[in-house]
Amino acid sequence: MDDTLIRVLGVTVLAAPFALVIVLGLASLVGHPLSERSIGRLVQTAIGLGLLAALAILGLMLSTGTRHVPVVLGSWVVIPDFHFSVKLDFDRLSVPFVVLSFALCGTVGAFANKYMHREPGFNRFFVFYAIFVLGMVVTSLAGTIETLFTGWELVGLSSALLIAFYQDRIAPVRNGLRVWVVYRVSDAALLVASVALHHMTGEGDFDKLLGNMPDASGVMHAWPDGLAHINQSQALIVGLLMLLAAAGKSALVPFSGWLPRAMEGPTPSSAVFYGALSVHLGAFLLLRVSPILDVCPPLCVAIVSIGVLTAVFAAFTERVQTDIKCALSFASLTQVGIIVAEIGLGFRYIALVHIIGHACLRTLQFVRAPTILYDYRTIENAIGTRLKHSSSNRPGWVSPRLASWLYRLALERGYLDVMLGDYVVTPFVRVFRWFDACERAWTHMISGGAPAPPPVQHGSPTITALEELI
Amino acid sequence: MTQLDTVSAHDAVDPRHADLERAIKYAAELLPLPGPITAFAFLNTLQALEDLTFDQGMRKGARLYGAQPYLAEQQYRDKITRGRIRVSDLEATLAQELGDDGRTEIAGLTTRFDLRLAMLQYPLRVGPPEEVRWFVLETDALKHMRAETPLAVHERFLEETERWAMRDLRTQSGNGRSRKRPYRRIEKLVGEILESFGEANIEDWSEATWESFSLQTLWSICLEGMQAVAAPAPPRRMALRHRDLLLQTTTVDSDALVNELLGRFCAAFTDQGFARWPLPGRELGFFKAFCELYRQPGGPPWPWARGLAAELARIEDSGQDALASIAESLELLGVSPYEQDDFVAAALLGLRGWAGMIWHMETRGDRVPVPVPPGTLVEFLAVRLILERLAIAYVARQTIGYDGPLDELRDVARGMIGRQPTASTEQRAFVVFQLAQVLGWCPPALFRLSNEEWWALVREIELFQNLDRRYILHQAFERRYRIQVLDAIGVHARKTPERVKNPRFQACFCLDAREESFRRHLEEIAPEVETFGLPGFFGVAMYFRGAADANFVALCPVVIKPQHWVVEDVVYTLEDTHRRRAMTRRAVGTASHQVHVGSRSMAGGVLVTSTLGVLASIPLVARVLFPRLTARIRRTASSLFQTPPVTRLRLERQTQQPGTGEDQIGYSLEEMANIGERMLRDIGLTSNFSRLVFFFGHGSFCLNNPHRSAYDCGACSGTPGGPNGRALAYILNDFRVRDILARRGLVIPAETRFIGGLHNTAVDSITFLDLDLLPKSHLHDFEAALATLKETCERNSHERCRRFESAPLNMTFEAAHRHAEERSEDLAQTRPEFGNASNAVCFVGRRERTRGLYMDRRTFLTSYDPKQDDAEHTILARILAPAVPVCEGINMQYYLSYVDNRGWACGTKLPHNVTSLLGVMDGAASDLRPGLPWQSVEIHEPLRLLFVIESTPEAMNSIMDRNELIGKILRNGWAQLAVLDPDSNEIKIYRNGTWEKHQPQQTELPTVASSTDWYRGWRGHLGFAVIEKPDPHRNGSEIAE
Repeated sequence: MDDTLIRVLGVTVLAAPFALVIVLGLASLVGHPLSERSIGRLVQTAIGLGLLAALAILGLMLSTGTRHVPVVLGSWVVIPDFHFSVKLDFDRLSVPFVVLSFALCGTVGAFANKYMHREPGFNRFFVFYAIFVLGMVVTSLAGTIETLFTGWELVGLSSALLIAFYQDRIAPVRNGLRVWVVYRVSDAALLVASVALHHMTGEGDFDKLLGNMPDASGVMHAWPDGLAHINQSQALIVGLLMLLAAAGKSALVPFSGWLPRAMEGPTPSSAVFYGALSVHLGAFLLLRVSPILDVCPPLCVAIVSIGVLTAVFAAFTERVQTDIKCALSFASLTQVGIIVAEIGLGFRYIALVHIIGHACLRTLQFVRAPTILYDYRTIENAIGTRLKHSSSNRPGWVSPRLASWLYRLALERGYLDVMLGDYVVTPFVRVFRWFDACERAWTHMISGGAPAPPPVQHGSPTITALEELI
Repeated sequence: MTQLDTVSAHDAVDPRHADLERAIKYAAELLPLPGPITAFAFLNTLQALEDLTFDQGMRKGARLYGAQPYLAEQQYRDKITRGRIRVSDLEATLAQELGDDGRTEIAGLTTRFDLRLAMLQYPLRVGPPEEVRWFVLETDALKHMRAETPLAVHERFLEETERWAMRDLRTQSGNGRSRKRPYRRIEKLVGEILESFGEANIEDWSEATWESFSLQTLWSICLEGMQAVAAPAPPRRMALRHRDLLLQTTTVDSDALVNELLGRFCAAFTDQGFARWPLPGRELGFFKAFCELYRQPGGPPWPWARGLAAELARIEDSGQDALASIAESLELLGVSPYEQDDFVAAALLGLRGWAGMIWHMETRGDRVPVPVPPGTLVEFLAVRLILERLAIAYVARQTIGYDGPLDELRDVARGMIGRQPTASTEQRAFVVFQLAQVLGWCPPALFRLSNEEWWALVREIELFQNLDRRYILHQAFERRYRIQVLDAIGVHARKTPERVKNPRFQACFCLDAREESFRRHLEEIAPEVETFGLPGFFGVAMYFRGAADANFVALCPVVIKPQHWVVEDVVYTLEDTHRRRAMTRRAVGTASHQVHVGSRSMAGGVLVTSTLGVLASIPLVARVLFPRLTARIRRTASSLFQTPPVTRLRLERQTQQPGTGEDQIGYSLEEMANIGERMLRDIGLTSNFSRLVFFFGHGSFCLNNPHRSAYDCGACSGTPGGPNGRALAYILNDFRVRDILARRGLVIPAETRFIGGLHNTAVDSITFLDLDLLPKSHLHDFEAALATLKETCERNSHERCRRFESAPLNMTFEAAHRHAEERSEDLAQTRPEFGNASNAVCFVGRRERTRGLYMDRRTFLTSYDPKQDDAEHTILARILAPAVPVCEGINMQYYLSYVDNRGWACGTKLPHNVTSLLGVMDGAASDLRPGLPWQSVEIHEPLRLLFVIESTPEAMNSIMDRNELIGKILRNGWAQLAVLDPDSNEIKIYRNGTWEKHQPQQTELPTVASSTDWYRGWRGHLGFAVIEKPDPHRNGSEIAE
């Protein structure tokens, strides 16, 4: 196989979205945002180019039967015992995922180019969008855990900023911040996992870790048949951290509360982020490290339980949602939960197919969400009667009291947000306040002066006076 | 408490309760009432305030809604720059407003008129004191005079300062300054400035030094002058609600807590069938259902609502009904009977979208599939106040540590707010400083002011507040356009009105502003055609159900409640086909519903997403990238199982009483004749009938747009008006009806045929109805008319496309038509059309008086022939009865949605989220957002509608007296009014109860050969022009305004 060709194509896949970020970002930095038309063309060209390159690689791999093509782009740091390298892996997992990312981002990009016409913040939207595309590509192709982390961060950053796209209203900013906090928790878990991996194996390469290499008998192993080179307890620690990271990113229980809150941005970003790509990243991470799961059955049990729990919770909650975007987001979550469970059960290919199908369908549904009123009307007219609540009759074993209790549980989304706040955030904050107080007391003791007063929060009333004087 | 407990639910005659009910009803009318988004009702959001004058009403509404009543000053000043407002308009408006007061001298410096004019004309910058200080010290504010200063003022300002400094200020000059005067601090300050500039070589100072010196002196004098002025008035009235006061003291919003919970519950309660699991106990009513749901243990662990279950249990178990609970809550909150009305209104407006929707569903149950029982709003308020009590108590406890009774909380919070001065010395001095420069108050003039004069000056400036200025600017803006309109109509109406002799065909359209251009193009292409305008429900107010529809919809203005039901049937011969296709449709519909719902469920979702999922990428890509092609394929596919093309309206009733029963559908013959006669007489079509007369309803067909209904016919409460035109045509074709009409003196020639149709305003296409009833003899005429109308459609699209920024300006007619079509099929298109945006005028009169005048799609056109009216003006009165409120409602809806899109309407549509199949929220969770999205109104100009009626002042006075609603709207200035004399081109304007003659400023209009010649190459608003076939001696095409 022509190595140079592969290399050129591999670099193109990454360079196309990277160049897009640079061009759009620089233009904004120097204060001369491009016109809507040129942004549209640039986005189409960059994503189209990336897609073609990815398809070409897919074609080459199919024609030559290669299952694993690494493209090393260089190393950040090489010191004895440690190295951080930038490496792309093309295999059965990353290629479909990157093709899916390009295809959906391209289509939704074309959609957004018209949809966002004349919106203040058009340029900002596409800068974040470009960062997101780059993040998706980097994450999908990452051959080392550091590279994956880079992409993971880019996706998180662009998500949070796009949720808070309407910065002049309170709710988007507040919800954007909330998502950002959950993402940070998940990032922290991934970071700790990668440090742990480095500690265990000396490097972050998935190849070695997950055994994507010829084994003793010379048989080439590639995803998903890698053989993880760590023992069960190591796998459990790393795996649980990864699961935490995945749970945050994919809004699995108990983090599910953020997913409906993320519906604050413009429709196309909701579609591609929370219907299609971003929400599947957690599942993707688990797929990527799936050889680890093979060596550690307890980990699989944990993954399956969280997946099933999420699916049941989301399906249950979805039934009472009265608005289309929240309903779709819980519907998405249901499938993500099932996908995670599939991964835990070892159905790697099924999970991958499921992700791809789900992403396509959900994007279409999200993009069409504003038309729901007329879809319903059309369906009603076709059927000839009003659409009835499909399950107005509760099952016989549920008492009215229980039904109403369950309904409230679903309506309030399982109280997950409040419980996280009460049982995690509040104690956490309290502990750090306590540290803060200790530190103050301590410095006071050392310096002998008066203790510095805790910082006072200044707020200005948000009511805008109508009749400001002059 | 115990005392309150005895106020039981059965105590129905409690006067306090009756009073509460009245207060709630009053408050309910203040809520936004656009109704369900699928049948958008264009009503003035502030219609409850129409008893007040426009300005008072706007201010009161603005305070209630926390929204802006007028554009920002800067926006008006931009219009001054672009010539949409002229200084002469400002002067005239101000002079009118001030009257003789304008000549009042202010501190010997200027007159009130000049001062106010300057404040209107030039921006006055303001900011926090720190910013003002920074601006003065760090920018060149003390070096260069304001850029806005007129040149003459600039020169005089410097010259006088220079002379003053040379003559009076220099100390060593010995020019008689030795005489003793009371020593003032300001003299010392000015002396210091003089010194700092180098007094010794004062004669060599450059121009720049003098400018800088003058400004520094001015600033010092202004600052010093403020010392004499009393502190500004104490802060304006304190907020009424606990929540507002807490928000001001703590910046924590208790409504955020309440609204999140209550909004979710409202959505569940009012859901029209979206959620698959309905609210349990919905049939118990709002209050009971809420109590049942939230009084259970093991509930929501929100810290603020920990006491909710116990509180609800207490209230329910004590047997309180909603009203009693409200009374108790008000008592606990310490709301006195005097505040009650305002407090209730403010509390309801705290979640105004949902409250308004509930009130609408309660009062107009016929407009939603699943209405709510009467009294729901009262129950809503009861729940709201209970939650509010909990939230306020929580916020007060958490933030200011207040744990006492709630009825004292407001006093505590008010005490904390205290007296904040509204403006600092620097801020006030800075205003004078800026004004002095544009008005040429040079330092010596201000230097001489006494303390009293300073006081008078500042008081005068502060008297003319922001809202007053904006109202004047707004009136000036309206004045400019009014003069343009009236000049144009006046000039154009000089011609003797003459109807077309033997018209080839006649076409009647909705009075909608969008049809103005359509009619104009039609008349341009075919001068031998006559057009008429009337409200698009064509007098046929009905509930209608099409052959392929599941339900009845109301087709008439929202202010009318129809009394008749009409259905569309497939003709008997095609019934088999119809039945087969209906079955296919049902199968397809059920299947697609299953897929839709299934994909959201767990098991179904797995099945659908993992098997069909990837296939979804095909429609996704196709629809986004090739919208037009996809639409065509879809249409071809669905035509296979559409209703058969031949259908009939069941219009004639068999029994006495109209109703929904099989025999009760339709109208009696008498009723049909009445409708037919009335319509023809209204538009003045009583003679000179052509062989074909069309009635075109209109509707808008576009994708992915929750607000689509706002583009449909406003006179059919947001539904396409095709069936109405069709019904009227059917009625007038009936020979029995014609016989009755003939007996009443209205003879329709036997060869005249009426045809109903539907104009699709998004695509610009026309569908004709009941063509199978057209006799062969008229086929040729019809085909000719069809060709003309097709060409008109293309031209009309072309004119519309100039307003779409994404459409190139140099398209051909066909390309423009294709573009319009593509827009309507595109999922990503947020502006399929602009609806009635930019509407500003409503002309009621003969088309002959405006025919050939380019009016830029900004005019509602209603046909009315004053020559055929009686002495009582019966026809005009009955035309205006719906036309005035309908057009004013549309206009005010656009006005408010443009002026403050976030405050009055629903903001940008991009994050909208359809909820409960009733309306939209912003993003994940918010109040229901009423009004129009920004994308629908962005080309609008907020002007009050100007009615120009071909009639006399006496007629209008009498109609305003007779019809209370019309009187209210026109007398209180919610719309402007002018009359055009039926026999001349004299125009009179109605203002504050009197009629003034309009003084034309323009006696000629530009003349162009065609509309296209006038509008091409231009995106913005256009002025008026006369369209005339080219005259060999004149070249009429001139550049747009």
